[in-house]
Amino acid sequence: MNRTIGLISANYTFSGYDTLTDERPVASMPFGGRFRLLDFPLSNMVNSRIQTVGLITPYFYRSIMDHVGAGKEWDLDRKQGGLYILPGAAYGFRDPNARFLFRDILRNQTYFRRGDGDYFLFSSGTLVANIDYEPMIAQHEIQGRGVTFLYKKMAPGQKHNGFYLELDDSGAVKSMARADSGENLFLNSFIIDKSLLLKLLRDYEAVGHMDLIEILLEVLPVTPMGSYRFNGYVGFMRGKQEYFRSSMDLLRNEIRQELFPRDRQIITKIHDAPPALYLPGSRVRNSVMTAGSVIEGRVDDSVLFRGVRIEKGASVKNCVLMEGCVIEPGAHLENVICDKAVTVTAGTIIRGTDDSPCVLPKGGVI
Amino acid sequence: MRKKECVAMLLAGGQGSRLGVLTEKIAKPAVSFGGKYRMIDFSLSNCVNSGIDTVGVLVQYKPTVLNRYLGTGAAWDLDAAWGGVHILPPFATQTGGEWYEGTADAIYHNIDFIDEYDPDYVLILSGDHLYQMDYNLMLDFHKLMGSDLTVAVKTVPWEEASRFGIMSVDDEMRITRFSEKPKNPDSNLASMGIYIFSWKVLRAALLADHDMPGSEHDYGKNIIPTLLSQKKNLFAYVFSGYWKDVGTIPSYYETQMELLDDNAEFKLHDTRMHIFSNLHDHSSHFIGKSGHVEHSMVCNGCEIEGVVENSILSPGAIVEAGALVKDSILLPDSVVGSGAVVERTILNERASIAPGSRVGSADKITVVGESSTMEV
Repeated sequence: MNRTIGLISANYTFSGYDTLTDERPVASMPFGGRFRLLDFPLSNMVNSRIQTVGLITPYFYRSIMDHVGAGKEWDLDRKQGGLYILPGAAYGFRDPNARFLFRDILRNQTYFRRGDGDYFLFSSGTLVANIDYEPMIAQHEIQGRGVTFLYKKMAPGQKHNGFYLELDDSGAVKSMARADSGENLFLNSFIIDKSLLLKLLRDYEAVGHMDLIEILLEVLPVTPMGSYRFNGYVGFMRGKQEYFRSSMDLLRNEIRQELFPRDRQIITKIHDAPPALYLPGSRVRNSVMTAGSVIEGRVDDSVLFRGVRIEKGASVKNCVLMEGCVIEPGAHLENVICDKAVTVTAGTIIRGTDDSPCVLPKGGVI
Repeated sequence: MRKKECVAMLLAGGQGSRLGVLTEKIAKPAVSFGGKYRMIDFSLSNCVNSGIDTVGVLVQYKPTVLNRYLGTGAAWDLDAAWGGVHILPPFATQTGGEWYEGTADAIYHNIDFIDEYDPDYVLILSGDHLYQMDYNLMLDFHKLMGSDLTVAVKTVPWEEASRFGIMSVDDEMRITRFSEKPKNPDSNLASMGIYIFSWKVLRAALLADHDMPGSEHDYGKNIIPTLLSQKKNLFAYVFSGYWKDVGTIPSYYETQMELLDDNAEFKLHDTRMHIFSNLHDHSSHFIGKSGHVEHSMVCNGCEIEGVVENSILSPGAIVEAGALVKDSILLPDSVVGSGAVVERTILNERASIAPGSRVGSADKITVVGESSTMEV
């Protein structure tokens, strides 16, 4: 029996996404041609043989429910275990570092109390990486510390605001604090003993507005906590710049191969789109392309989702075009993120910059 | 037990020997087609789109891949609580076991299966045709004419009529004669191998045919001639849409190449019709800095660093740098090594072309399997 139960929090959002997060939580941001960010934590858990996953939804949960449904694609439509939808509070976090609103956990206590396991694996809904949690779970079991934090070693001088861990030689967490840069960046994923979590639910019942991480920091002096280092690629997603850069990272073979290996796939909702059709005259270089698209124009260094039409004489460079976009003849886009179903009319030219991509809102005709 | 008005029986057990290397390891209906599909998808999708939710799939030859592909039928929304997809292999009984000896024999052995659903009509289908058809219209015609057996027919050019099973009809579309590949055809209505029977009539015919000495237990050769001689009500239903039998290498190749044509009669990219398939979860495909793709269809999971022209790339196919793929069909997970040239070739699933080698030529179709090659 698998003794670890999953929990993914999607009840938070970031500012800095322009209109992209107007109607969807960040966790359901489309990414990489056919995925949503949520697919990564869900698939990582399932690929690590976790059979029960709770999903804390944000207030705007239509797009999430549309996507995960009963969890069939992830093999989570089970009689035993499976996917549990845990409604989150109406006001989730907008703090760029907070992920696990304690009130959401309190209100869904039943899930945690009933959970038939010894450990809970928490992950943010926007952790884009391909992570094998099995060795981390094994380490947590062997070390017997109440909590194990997942972290990544940052390159010296790399700026990234977040929680950083200070570790002793055995990997135990000495302290943890917010900073703009540091060595061991906490990846918003951790394993916690069920007994410890249930104790915190009793002790901290009155402070539902807190982040679970803040509570863990309070009990750190009296609770042994460990760490587990993830060495792979992480695509950061806090705002449109990071989203854009992480999208462009997919053009690198080594990153694509690491995120989407054939023996450890990221699973998503299947749409049965027909193959992509490249018509005479199409010219595509260095781009991620997706089924259902019809390409007659030119595409360079871009990520295209399913069902995109690039018409004759149209060209896009350094763009992310989500599902159903149509770029009409002669239009040209550079450094642009098109939300779903955007039509760029003939001859229109739009340029953003590498640092600040232009965002075209969902369904717009420009 | 809830009654079903119409149950479909899909004949998927034949070897498909005319496809040679492609059916070395898998049944014909499981052969990859049109990039992300397998042949059976078209008939199954037609069933679903026509509201037929009970489909028996008769398997016999190398069914492993087909069985796995069908799974619970969920990919076609055919995982129904009552009905759905049923894989029906030959089975043993108290008096021994028998293989399916013919198309009619396969249904004979599954009379119990059909009886469970107590249908009024049984629709007989093949798994190797490319077409989009609303079977309801044919069923309405069947009911309207008070038919015992309705055969779907397609008008073919007179000069090709002698290659088909030809139905001769009167003014009312009543079938008067059936002739298999006639030398001098008196009709150009070719049977599409799609039949709607009234179940009572078919049931009785199957029981009688089973005991008939010398019968090949085949619809065309035995059942239809017998019903004709018994003066049953047989009608031809003319289907005017696109329909292709893709059971030979040339038709398999040409029919797929036609899909690339922007004016193709069969429109995969028409979003109004849905062709279901059971695709493995692949990520998007990638065209690299040295890659070039023109006039081609490409599926998810492909990685292209070479040049691809006028070709179809199925899920997970790889074209390495410096390779040229022209007028070819790469089936799932096949690999064209760097610098190789591939022309007018069907590369079977998981087959690979060594770097720098040259395969195929413009004057014939080459089929490359994992371990063997053939030319047509």
